[in-house]
Amino acid sequence: MYNDYKDRVDFLAVYIREAHPLDEWEMKKNLDENVCYPQPKTLAQRIAIANDFSQRFHFPLPLGIDAMNDLADHLYGGWPERLYVIDESGKLVYCGGLGPFNYHPNEVRAWLEHRFPDTHTASNTSSDSVTPSR
Amino acid sequence: MTRLDAHVIVLVRKNMRRILKWAGLSLLGLLVIAFALGCYFMGSPRDLYGFLRFALPQWHKGDLKVGDAAPDAPLLALDGQSSFYIHDHIGQKPLVLIFGSYT
Repeated sequence: MYNDYKDRVDFLAVYIREAHPLDEWEMKKNLDENVCYPQPKTLAQRIAIANDFSQRFHFPLPLGIDAMNDLADHLYGGWPERLYVIDESGKLVYCGGLGPFNYHPNEVRAWLEHRFPDTHTASNTSSDSVTPSR
Repeated sequence: MTRLDAHVIVLVRKNMRRILKWAGLSLLGLLVIAFALGCYFMGSPRDLYGFLRFALPQWHKGDLKVGDAAPDAPLLALDGQSSFYIHDHIGQKPLVLIFGSYT
């Protein structure tokens, strides 16, 4: 999706508090893939994990890190993962459901296809997950 | 109290015990079913515990809806030095905003 629409749409990823840190609800898959972090207690720890993520996946999207008071997360209800589309006037035009069960990048793609019907897309919706599969 | 009254009281007590026994067993059965379903959907008893203990209390659905003004918040860049606001990315094109973490 990013490659299909990056010329016509801005993308911004917001790194928020961890969903499955070691000291909370750790996931076996994360242990298998050596993605093992405790919940950051300091901003420096949060920045370090965000950088690890960005470097490991060569993450191409602009990425911002939420403050330690989790303001962006609280305002948007972003945890554990969520998608929004904001139009040029600053209004929300798509509000995704709460992840992981209601995290549907294909709905964002559908909105973009409706907004930009003339855009040639790769039509590979399986690659639409902008967060690494877990 | 007549002998009939006493007999009725004994019968009521017996039935009460039976009702309480079945209510208790039914409740236990429902709890077992709920636990089994929870484990099935979450993957394991450990994941069910993790969900109930850590995820559920943090899960706030948010009250934003289509048509609302997008809230603004400061974000830190990956270099850890510079910062910017979500609204800095609004205006030129539609903005896809993605919330997530590493784990």
